[in-house]
Amino acid sequence: MTLPSGMHVFERGWLSSNNVLFTGPGPATLVDSGYVIHAAQTVALVEHALGGQPLERIVTTHLHSDHCGGNAALQARFGCRVAVPAADAANVRDWHATAMNFHLTGQQCPRFTAQDTIAPGDELLLAGQVWQVLGASGHDAHALVLYCPTERILISADALWRNGFGVIFPELEGDSGFIEERATLELIDTLEVDLVIPGHGPMFTDVKDAIKRAFNRLNFLQASPVRNAENAVRVMLKFLLLERQQMLLADVPALVASIPLMETIRTRYLDKSNDELAEWAVQGLVRAGAAKRDGVMLRNYDL
Amino acid sequence: MNALNQTPVPSPCISICEMGPDGLCKGCLRTIEEISQWGRADDDYKRAVWQDIRLREQQIGFP
Repeated sequence: MTLPSGMHVFERGWLSSNNVLFTGPGPATLVDSGYVIHAAQTVALVEHALGGQPLERIVTTHLHSDHCGGNAALQARFGCRVAVPAADAANVRDWHATAMNFHLTGQQCPRFTAQDTIAPGDELLLAGQVWQVLGASGHDAHALVLYCPTERILISADALWRNGFGVIFPELEGDSGFIEERATLELIDTLEVDLVIPGHGPMFTDVKDAIKRAFNRLNFLQASPVRNAENAVRVMLKFLLLERQQMLLADVPALVASIPLMETIRTRYLDKSNDELAEWAVQGLVRAGAAKRDGVMLRNYDL
Repeated sequence: MNALNQTPVPSPCISICEMGPDGLCKGCLRTIEEISQWGRADDDYKRAVWQDIRLREQQIGFP
């Protein structure tokens, strides 16, 4: 799959989001900046690709720690402008609500400032091409995706991956999310797309198949919302494991108890004590090949 | 994992993502150039990088 010139995709793992760098023509722009603990490598990748040219803009598709965690470091390094979804602008300015949201899932993200906002219907000029900003509510209420009709490329963030999409977080907090994700997938289905650059995982060209898989996944989750909740628990524990690479098995219950969204899920959806939830989550990750028990330790693992 | 036999060739990233003083990522043992190019690379390039990773593992004494 060939990318247009002036466009670079940094495929990160599952802790940091992928980053899309537009080196030119026009102001160098980065879409999504990964997680904070990888910020030094994100800066190094951007510096390497820009070869002395400054990064002038960052576009944040949604305010999740794995997508905006490098914003502070990049702003410090380059003094670049940051654009966030308009619906999140007030929270970014005040930061308090934003900090709370990161705390809800047990994640961290350093504060940054936003100079610009983007909203569905906007157009961005990136490496000399017009990119449309589209609303992609579902995984996050204010999430956006970027679509280039000329190149037929979609930067889909966590609305669509090759196999599925990100946890539908709004549903876990009593808000609607399944309907919104369905509308987002339907919107994506109407677009002429040859290449999808997802928020995590490799770029892919089997777009229609991926959309079909995503609809199947959504139907599965929507049929029994506890499934979305159970998935969220495993995803949040896996995220922590990716961040730390290992932890004492004995520490998992306290860690789970310290994460507000885990507690919300436990009391709303699952008939388990905190300790039972912790053990259930560990078993789920081990069974899926996403973690390994090693004596007293739980270690990150990937098949 | 036998990455060389898989299609598409999987990413070596294990989410450690920290460049070492030797110019290699401490997690995946790729250079900045290799990580940067991975996104637009074809499977031949990726397999070549995996082979270099294996050599680097031996040189460093990875288990």
